[in-house]
Amino acid sequence: MTKQAGNKNTIYSVSNSIKRFKRDINQWSITTLTIVFIIAIPILTIFFKLFSGPGETWDHIVKNLLPKYLTNTSLLIIGCTTLVLLMGVSAAWIVSRYEFPYRKQLEWLLILPLAIPSYITAYSYAGVFDYGGTLELLFRTVGTTLPKIDIMNVSGLILILSLSLYPYVYVSARTVFLTQANNLIEASKLLGVGEFKTFFKLILPLARPAIIGGLILVLMEVLNDYGAAKYYGVSTFTTGIFRAWFALEEPETAVYLSAILVTIIFGLIMIEKWQRRKIGYHNDIKNNVILKRKNTTKKKRWLLFFLASIPAVLGFIIPVLQLLYWASLTFTTVFSWDFMSISLQSLSIALLAAVLTVGFALGLIYMSKWNKLKLIKNLTKISILGYAIPGAVIAVGVMIPTLIIDKWLNRMIAAAFDHNIGLVINGTIIGLTYAYMVRFLAVGYNPIEANALKIGDRLAESSRILGKSNIKTFFKINFPLIQKGVISGLLLVFVDVMKELPLTLILKPYDVSTLAVKAYEYASDELIAEAALPSLLIIITGILPVIFLNKLITK
Amino acid sequence: MNLLEVTTLSKSFDQGKTMALDQVSFTIKQGKVIAIVGESGSAKTTLIRLISGLETPDYGVIKLKGEVISSLETMVPPEKRNVGLVFQDYALFPHLTVAANVGYGIKDKTMKEARIAEVLNLVGLAGYEKRYPHQLSGGQQQRVALARAIAPQPELLILDEPFSNLDTMLREQLRNEIFEIIKKTAITAIFVTHDTEDALAVSDRIMVLKKGKLIQKDKAKALYKKPDTPYVASLFGTIIELKNNVLEEFGFTPETNKHYALRAQDIKIEKTTKYQLEVQLKRVQFMGEYYQIEVITSNGNQFMIHAPKKYKQETLTIGFNPKNLLVFETN
Amino acid sequence: MSITKYLVLVSVFFMAISCKTDKKTEVKEEAPVVTKTQEVNVYTHRHYAADQELFAQFEKETGIKVNVVNAKADELMQKMTSEGEQSPADVLITVDAGRLVRAKDKGLLQGVTSTTLDKNIPAHLRDTDNAWFALTKRARVIVYAKDRVKPEALSTYEELTSDKWKKKILIRSSSNIYNQSLLASIIAHDGVEKAKAWAEGMVANMARTPKGNDRDQVKAVVGGEGDIAVVNTYYIGKLLNSKNPEEVKAGEGVGIFFPNQDGRGTHINVSGAGVAKYAPNKENAIKFIEFLSSKAAQEVFATANYEYPVNPEVKASELLTSWGAFKEDVLPLAKLGENNKKAVITFDEAGWQ
Repeated sequence: MTKQAGNKNTIYSVSNSIKRFKRDINQWSITTLTIVFIIAIPILTIFFKLFSGPGETWDHIVKNLLPKYLTNTSLLIIGCTTLVLLMGVSAAWIVSRYEFPYRKQLEWLLILPLAIPSYITAYSYAGVFDYGGTLELLFRTVGTTLPKIDIMNVSGLILILSLSLYPYVYVSARTVFLTQANNLIEASKLLGVGEFKTFFKLILPLARPAIIGGLILVLMEVLNDYGAAKYYGVSTFTTGIFRAWFALEEPETAVYLSAILVTIIFGLIMIEKWQRRKIGYHNDIKNNVILKRKNTTKKKRWLLFFLASIPAVLGFIIPVLQLLYWASLTFTTVFSWDFMSISLQSLSIALLAAVLTVGFALGLIYMSKWNKLKLIKNLTKISILGYAIPGAVIAVGVMIPTLIIDKWLNRMIAAAFDHNIGLVINGTIIGLTYAYMVRFLAVGYNPIEANALKIGDRLAESSRILGKSNIKTFFKINFPLIQKGVISGLLLVFVDVMKELPLTLILKPYDVSTLAVKAYEYASDELIAEAALPSLLIIITGILPVIFLNKLITK
Repeated sequence: MNLLEVTTLSKSFDQGKTMALDQVSFTIKQGKVIAIVGESGSAKTTLIRLISGLETPDYGVIKLKGEVISSLETMVPPEKRNVGLVFQDYALFPHLTVAANVGYGIKDKTMKEARIAEVLNLVGLAGYEKRYPHQLSGGQQQRVALARAIAPQPELLILDEPFSNLDTMLREQLRNEIFEIIKKTAITAIFVTHDTEDALAVSDRIMVLKKGKLIQKDKAKALYKKPDTPYVASLFGTIIELKNNVLEEFGFTPETNKHYALRAQDIKIEKTTKYQLEVQLKRVQFMGEYYQIEVITSNGNQFMIHAPKKYKQETLTIGFNPKNLLVFETN
Repeated sequence: MSITKYLVLVSVFFMAISCKTDKKTEVKEEAPVVTKTQEVNVYTHRHYAADQELFAQFEKETGIKVNVVNAKADELMQKMTSEGEQSPADVLITVDAGRLVRAKDKGLLQGVTSTTLDKNIPAHLRDTDNAWFALTKRARVIVYAKDRVKPEALSTYEELTSDKWKKKILIRSSSNIYNQSLLASIIAHDGVEKAKAWAEGMVANMARTPKGNDRDQVKAVVGGEGDIAVVNTYYIGKLLNSKNPEEVKAGEGVGIFFPNQDGRGTHINVSGAGVAKYAPNKENAIKFIEFLSSKAAQEVFATANYEYPVNPEVKASELLTSWGAFKEDVLPLAKLGENNKKAVITFDEAGWQ
């Protein structure tokens, strides 16, 4: 054993640090950095806009509007949290713990509200409770009248958003209940602890991180909602952003409002991060046994069926029935070849965006792994922030830098070839897909990353040691094993793009339209009934992936 | 010839605040099997990850066959190092068959089939080619992992806690088998283990790591006979540290700046040894293979000894032979 | 994994399709360079079936292809501002005058000379520099529950703030441009102070917090939530011709009252078009607007969309005529645009949601 001269100070001297940096920087560091940069430009643009100061109406907004935005947004957060937890967790527990008629069908029916954009649920409920609406008609046929129920207010909005978003909590809670509750229940049984107590004392705490994770997603969607809040006349931060930007014509003020909103959202994300840190040991439980379902008396079974079906009926069946009724009234005027082509365009755009987004997510996840610089690894997190930022804000963030590129390209090409190419990125599929990618990268990223975490690094490391390069390892080992995550990512992005509205409105190319845009156009022209057909198509394209995802989760 | 040369190898995961691996240097000769022993947290896993190229060192040089594979300037990627590694959890590719797993690292495509058969034969798993990892027992998976690692004929084979996932019965049998295989292939190998018995059974030399530092490296026997520290000594079984005043009670004169210990079995309950002492028996406890006896000297010093049988009398004469004394420098 | 294979197949199929659509748009974008006379790019807030019919007819008559970007006027203007000189937009169409004025102020439009347009469109419905032209008119009227309110009880917008309408008025949110323009016209006539007092009085008399669209206000009147509502004529037409029998019933349940007939006249708003400042196809753009102001096109607007035509030669539709002739506020429409921001702020200060 030789004792070497050399202490911490020499090891971590500046010159040695530079040597290490030179040694460790590789092509992956640079590609990762490039991807992060591409995705982060719009977010950074918004961020830097903050330094140009708020618009002149900022004081006016703080004085007259901000209190209302804050109270309404807080009410929405509190109300939706309560309702979503109540519906999501109890439905998840009932379907994973008890056997009752049509349980299997109900299990996936409970997820389907995810397929309906919340603004569409809002439209259809407005139709149900409207004057001369469905409810009134129904009561009139049986000869009674009902006092008018006003749903277009904050409470109504809370109900609508909860009904369309509770599945996020339902799905995550159910996964934990199914896979991890069995051991606990059996252990409690041996100790003579009642099931009620077991649920609240053991199972709920176990499932808490997963439930909170789902809840955070719900709240992000709540804060991003524009269509439903606008229609129900509830002023929130997001409607405020649109108002400041378009009615007051002050994008700077809109950016300031977004900054507050984004701060709220990041607060929520930090909570989730902190929750996740605790999740670690729960997942270590090996050999999980799927929860055995309990049989109960016949009466009780129907009661359970009734209870568990409430969210599904309210969140899916009623809105769909209302839409179907409207569609039957307006089918002949709305349906046309043009409509078919819009549907097809919608599908292809969503698919293109999904494939590209997942491609970028994969690149980011693995290249940042192959890169050896810790700093760059940490930077990748910036690029998944887009999901927390309202679509309209992303649209501005995309438009500002891409126009600079477009204009520069134009000058270059005009100078070189004397040829005007027009805008290459803005108002084309390229710009639109890019914006979708910025907005939905996290949606594709998370399931893949979760899957990759589950697989661990050992297999890839074995492959490296056995002589295969990073890329070969990726195709031979990583990719085959994370297929489930990749498919989940593709489907989730696909569904989200199909539903996306404000961003699409601002960035879509001419003579390209999507179903969401079409539905919105009808609705904003006060032709709600006509909006039913495109809405139904969005729902159908959303349902298939949702069912598929459910299978993937329960497998 | 030195196959592996490691010089002042260092690694920290928090920019030098705490050193995971602190200036470790050693060499391994061609064809030798060396064991790295250390408890968890001793950085033995970090060391082998550095050697195999999965981590980048903060400082120091690793040379394989005289060529630098890691230094401040160079970092040969793992796939170009020609090092084999068997992970603790085997890390078999779950979506590939046994044959595909074993053949994964073989570069020469023409030789592939023959080599797979040869290696599977060597580990006694001929006929299992079409199975998938989850269809195999723990011991079989272990052997597939070994076969996969040696199939590309690496210069150096590293086994990370190879037996920790197996039960005791299987462990001994497999240990011998694998040692046989390694000897047969004449490969240079590093065994990482927290179990000294494993280390003694299979290796030529043993390196002891503690908290990121290499504290002793020697032949197994030498390490047993002349451990540098009580910690190293205790790796091979219980030692009883005897304070200098206790030794004086035995009639032994300790040197200054030294302190002493004895292995439990070297304190004899008989009157044949050179140094002897009469002690009071305080408590006897059955421990399975031996009895643990707590004794107290006439000066009131207390310590434990191990005895092969139960003693009922109240006073015992115990003693030791000076050649069995373990001597350590006092810092 | 057969599912994966299936998904890959489906993806490839859609990729192929989307590549095709991609190409299609690219070709169109290049088109202005290759054959400049063959198209006109229209940024429009209007997205009615009638408009599409007219565009198709224009294509048929002139051979000029019409490319449409549909979005809200504000978003379109934001887009044109960002695009600057590179903007492909030739024509901007909005559904209110305020936006047109603002577009002109922002330098997004250019003045053009066209004798046809001068002839087809009366001067007060045109910009002074001919940067924009009104195409259709809508009146913002008061509707009342036929069974509860006598039309004699109604007189002016200002009178709506009197105590007798406490908890009786239905009107939509202040984020709606028609309300903003109405308030802007009041600011133009009476000043900010009075306008603010009016807005506060309206808020005090509202039957409920503003929500929903104009149709919803009419339905709520019929449903008994309030007695009167301020809405656009255009939507009454839409209700009366709805596919939904309940909506027709709602439309029939209200009477229409044109306020301020003894004074300045009923507030009107217009939808209109202007030629974009950097229009790559300026000539086509002018042809396009001329076509929309022509007698034939104006008749389509009048019949299909329940709007009043701007071309004096064209009569309003039968339904609209049945509501009677009315005196319209001839305040230069530019004032609506000038006072828009003031209106929005006044609304906020009055607490009009």
